[in-house]
Amino acid sequence: MTTKSIERFSFAERASHWTSALCFLYAAFTGLALWSPRLFWLSGVFGGGETVRAWHPWGGLFFFLALGVMFRRWARQMQLDEDDQVWLAKSHLYAQHIEAGIPESGRFNAGQKMMFWLQSASAFFLLLSGVVIWFPEFAPRPLRLGAILLHPVCAAVSMGGIMVHFYMSTMAVPGSMGAMVRGTVSAGWARSHHGKWFREMGGR
Amino acid sequence: MTVAKLIDTSLCIGCKACEVACQEWNDQEFTLGVFNNTYQTQPDLTSNFWNLIKFNEHVDDGVNSWLMAKYQCMHCADAGCLKACPAPGAIVQLPNGIVDFNQDNCIGCGYCITGCPFDVPRLSSVTKKVYKCSLCSDRVAAGMTPACIRTCPTNCLTFGSRTDMVQLATARTAELKEDGFKDAGIYDGPGVGGTNVLYVLKHASEPEKYGLPKDPRIPWAVSLWKGPLKWVANAAFLGTAVGAMLHYLKFGPKETHDDEIH
Repeated sequence: MTTKSIERFSFAERASHWTSALCFLYAAFTGLALWSPRLFWLSGVFGGGETVRAWHPWGGLFFFLALGVMFRRWARQMQLDEDDQVWLAKSHLYAQHIEAGIPESGRFNAGQKMMFWLQSASAFFLLLSGVVIWFPEFAPRPLRLGAILLHPVCAAVSMGGIMVHFYMSTMAVPGSMGAMVRGTVSAGWARSHHGKWFREMGGR
Repeated sequence: MTVAKLIDTSLCIGCKACEVACQEWNDQEFTLGVFNNTYQTQPDLTSNFWNLIKFNEHVDDGVNSWLMAKYQCMHCADAGCLKACPAPGAIVQLPNGIVDFNQDNCIGCGYCITGCPFDVPRLSSVTKKVYKCSLCSDRVAAGMTPACIRTCPTNCLTFGSRTDMVQLATARTAELKEDGFKDAGIYDGPGVGGTNVLYVLKHASEPEKYGLPKDPRIPWAVSLWKGPLKWVANAAFLGTAVGAMLHYLKFGPKETHDDEIH
């Protein structure tokens, strides 16, 4: 055992992550309120239907901007390399905690990289379709019909992804919550989950 | 009893009395709109103008004429606006078939505008609510006829039970055919389960000439959105949650190997 800790996420990274996380949760739950009359009761939690209609787009826009900060910071680190391809091919072994044959990961493993690209792509299309739905009086009908389909599809993909993200960070990989909240991980954690990154950081 | 409004376009003289009656009864302030070089009051419906006589210019054997068409909410049996609306109680379908908007419950999302096959609801930039013809549901509830019907001087507009209106429309179509209008017929939107506003048209096979959609249907995108897509997404969420639970129960958390670190 060791008490040595390594900085995993800087303050700026954590701030943008949690800003986008809060905006995402707001947009997701207010979005669900507008998704179906059966879920409209959710709008009551957020100040009523008119408030939700007025503020859901802003929540989404701020989510997009906060995600944009992360995107600028991480896009290069999130490129998939050859090891990542092997990792993805063997991700079913990763899920079973079988480590033999799975290449060590850099700062982000291939699963995290896929999550990053999934969230970035869905956020981009959510913004495009969202602007159309935001101002229906200015959008031609075919555009609106496309948007009302694209928006929920992207939202469902994005929310499904976040459910996995939430499970991984809170339950499946102990230590990752601390990494995103306090910014640090133990040396053992770094070596176990991101071996390549651990050595790049000077670990042995 | 399902009520209906019958518009016999062959009898419309374009006096626009129904437009005025509609504005008066519904207490709408007329805002000067756009003049587009036609006899129409304005080019299109607006949030405070729910009933428009369209002066469709028509040339037949070198003779100019107007194909008058009173344009307003069609009160569909299968209402696209209602299907698209997320706010319970904002759009209601009364037992008499009237599709009514309740602005107190409207959140102004505008989904109904996209859901409507006739492009009727209009969002007010002032109140951020959506408005359209109510078929004077308040008058009808009190046993009166809608304001437009009450004021029509030519019997172009009739109001009553839908059965009676269909009967009247059928008889009137037969008359027109006898008069030489071979293409006369009824326009009642079978694609939306029937509308409670019926038209008698001289050119029934070409409703576009009257500014009416050829085969009005709820857009498939709206049906997909409010139908299968909802269930696929719900199943995906449920599947993800159950999957995560089963994963944790079977494999537990990913362990950290803390030993041998110096």
